[in-house]
Amino acid sequence: MKKKKLKAKIIILSVLALLLLLMTCFAGLVAKNDPNATSAAAIRTAPCADYPFGTDNLGRCVFSRVLYGGRTTITATFFLVAVSFAAGTLIGMICGYHGGIIDGILMRIADIMLAFPQMVVAIAVAGILGGGMKGAMIALGITMWVSFARLARSHTFSLKKEAFIKAALIAGKGDIYIIIVHILPNLLAPVLTNALTQIGTTMIGLSGLSFLGLGVVPPTAEWGSMISEGRAYIQIAPWAVLYPALATLITIIIFNCLGDAVMDYREA
Amino acid sequence: MDIILEGKKLNKSFKTGEKKTQVLCDVDFFLKEGEVLGIVGESGSGKSTLLRVASGLEKPDSGELLYKGRDYTGSSPRQTGEFLQILFQDAESSFDPRMTMERSIMEAGRGKKDKEELLKLVKMAGLDEELLKRKPGKLSGGQCQRMAIVRAFYSGAEILLCDEMTSALDVSTQAQVMQIMQRLKKEGKLSAVFVSHDIALVSEICDRIMVMKDGRCVEEGETPEVIGSPKDDHTKELIESARKQSIG
Repeated sequence: MKKKKLKAKIIILSVLALLLLLMTCFAGLVAKNDPNATSAAAIRTAPCADYPFGTDNLGRCVFSRVLYGGRTTITATFFLVAVSFAAGTLIGMICGYHGGIIDGILMRIADIMLAFPQMVVAIAVAGILGGGMKGAMIALGITMWVSFARLARSHTFSLKKEAFIKAALIAGKGDIYIIIVHILPNLLAPVLTNALTQIGTTMIGLSGLSFLGLGVVPPTAEWGSMISEGRAYIQIAPWAVLYPALATLITIIIFNCLGDAVMDYREA
Repeated sequence: MDIILEGKKLNKSFKTGEKKTQVLCDVDFFLKEGEVLGIVGESGSGKSTLLRVASGLEKPDSGELLYKGRDYTGSSPRQTGEFLQILFQDAESSFDPRMTMERSIMEAGRGKKDKEELLKLVKMAGLDEELLKRKPGKLSGGQCQRMAIVRAFYSGAEILLCDEMTSALDVSTQAQVMQIMQRLKKEGKLSAVFVSHDIALVSEICDRIMVMKDGRCVEEGETPEVIGSPKDDHTKELIESARKQSIG
């Protein structure tokens, strides 16, 4: 019964996530205004038929910028999570399978990464690399692989002791074959669940860096930078902050709930 | 009959922190072609470790392992797998939970893809070929163990190392698995080392019995001789407790 409820929850959340992705992917079809077009006549216009979410300090359509900004934020987040997932899982599997000196070195590096709060490291690295989305992604990616690596390592470590791995060894299979054919498919579910829960955290990280001026370069629309720009005139045009903040909040809630639901479903 | 597998003066110890535990002390054993050797003993007597050492899953601290007179001490399981196969206590866990039985069994064939032979072996094990399409989680413990026997024979291994292979099964399934083993033995297809804590079960199928205690072999001989007139007190205790269990 519990599993059935969780399955329904996962389906609803997946549909919402898909809708969100489709809206940002096809932003050009949904938003009728150019996200970067300024209009002196429409500066800080309140939400109306032409501008559903109002306009900002330069007269740009907030609705269009939220949709196009979502494309930037979501694409960067998915790319970063995918790269960290691939790199972290690979490192974790190698460490867990081989152990020894490679495991010792890589896991100590991971410990160092975990010794500092992720955002502090990201701000420092992004500061060194300068502004731009590329720099922000590298800054977050430096610490993001660690959670995937540790998870993959611990699962590989216990899978390695399973009789079916011993059976594969006796069947003459090589280490690469065992890692790819036997270990990877068996640890994919928990690591993918972790990837889902990481989407929200990464989105906050990227938006946070953009908010601090270490993310996207203006005039590119991005939720964090929109909030940062809008806060200067929040009292006269609150919609310029409200809508990108709401978009961030809703997206993070959807992906976090989806991650939690998948995790609960697996444990149920 | 020629000796197919032999272990000489095998020693193995495990280190836990500062403490060193000697699990095997100067153990000798041999297995003749077409013979079934039973190794019995209580938990912790070293019988499973002996099997793991013989299979290459663990390296002995000292001693010699020979296959048809050829030294294979220190060989990896990949090398020993060319002539031996292990039947694990929990057969289900010896199959990848994400693979079908057919794929798992074919994997043991070292490149061989003979569906006809596989189907013949499945039939020999008294299983429905439909089960080959299933994953291990969808099979019973007995079916998994019989599939493990199929895999062992499909691999072409000459020696089977059976580690408490019937312990996790209920009595009737245990009997079914033992029937298959008996049949294979009668057909002369079986050279096996059968490790179990159950001396009564071992005496049903084994030609010779080796009794282990605290990492040492305390008695060894032909099955009727060991069961009929045991010399060591530990063997007597094992036989007595098996007798009591069967009465109970």
